[in-house]
Amino acid sequence: MKKIVNILASTFLVTLLPSILFASEGGGTHLPDVIGTFFHHGLMNTFKPAIFAFSLSILFSFIAMKVYKNRQMIPGPLQNLLEMLIEWMYNFIESILGKDTKQFIPFLGTLFFYILGMNLMGLIPGGAAPTTSLSITASLAVLVFLYSQYTGIARLGIGGYIDHLMGEPRDVIGWCLVPLMLPMHIIGEFAKPFSLALRLFGNITGEDILVGAFVGLGISALAFIGSPVGLPLNVPFILLGMLLSTIQALVFTLLSTIYILMMLPHEEAH
Amino acid sequence: MDYQSMLAWALPMGVGLAAVGSGLGLGRAVGSAMEAIGRQPEAAGKIQTAMIIGAALIEALTIYALVVFFILSGKIG
Repeated sequence: MKKIVNILASTFLVTLLPSILFASEGGGTHLPDVIGTFFHHGLMNTFKPAIFAFSLSILFSFIAMKVYKNRQMIPGPLQNLLEMLIEWMYNFIESILGKDTKQFIPFLGTLFFYILGMNLMGLIPGGAAPTTSLSITASLAVLVFLYSQYTGIARLGIGGYIDHLMGEPRDVIGWCLVPLMLPMHIIGEFAKPFSLALRLFGNITGEDILVGAFVGLGISALAFIGSPVGLPLNVPFILLGMLLSTIQALVFTLLSTIYILMMLPHEEAH
Repeated sequence: MDYQSMLAWALPMGVGLAAVGSGLGLGRAVGSAMEAIGRQPEAAGKIQTAMIIGAALIEALTIYALVVFFILSGKIG
């Protein structure tokens, strides 16, 4: 379990890379947040998703390294919390991947907590969820795509990988279907990262716009008496946003797990 | 009718229609999963995982409509 914490810390450093590379174009959506208005001009706005994703990675790496360095037999509160979260994640992934969990838990667990943190950042006043930028979600999806293809080639070998893409023909009917199955599988492989990226982006953007719209509604409800603050109409939608953020992070991780599982040599699966 | 008013009509309608389809699909999927859990409570974990995957794939269709909305809504104003 302590080794997992260490691997988690190193994987967070890997997550810094896409946020730098892809988010420079950034921008995200312009949400009507009240406190962060002055952030909405110039450099801060352009690099907003990158800055938030970057600071989250640094925060996570810092916590993981701190806990790993001072790990004890009788854990303190922070170590206890981290071990609990990682153990929960481990058991969850293990129910799907089985004995291969140890190899993939660093990547998948990082993915879940990183995406969850990024989603929840949109609910901080003045903050923005980095996942409302298509560049960030696309880079995460591309990482999943590359990792699952690499897993397929490493586990099945080149021949087995192509065999897998051809739908594993074993008889005459199987070989007759190859011209149909091969393009279908290849298109399917490329469609996966698209659907992953668009799903996360659309859900979180929609949720943040919903919260933002109700902030605006609450302000305009009291505007006629010149009140500086509005009605807190957005509070129930913040709770909804927390729920949606968790579900979307879980769905992203779950689908990544399934994509990796489909690439593994399967004896009992299917 | 200029293209702006067409978009202002078509985009929300598209999202709404997609939501109707997804709603029907999700209703069937989640309803069946609940029935299955009720019949076999010890398999609740596995059914739930499969249900979440299916629900994610179904609601992705609405999300595609929503993404198209986001992309094209800038052309209305």
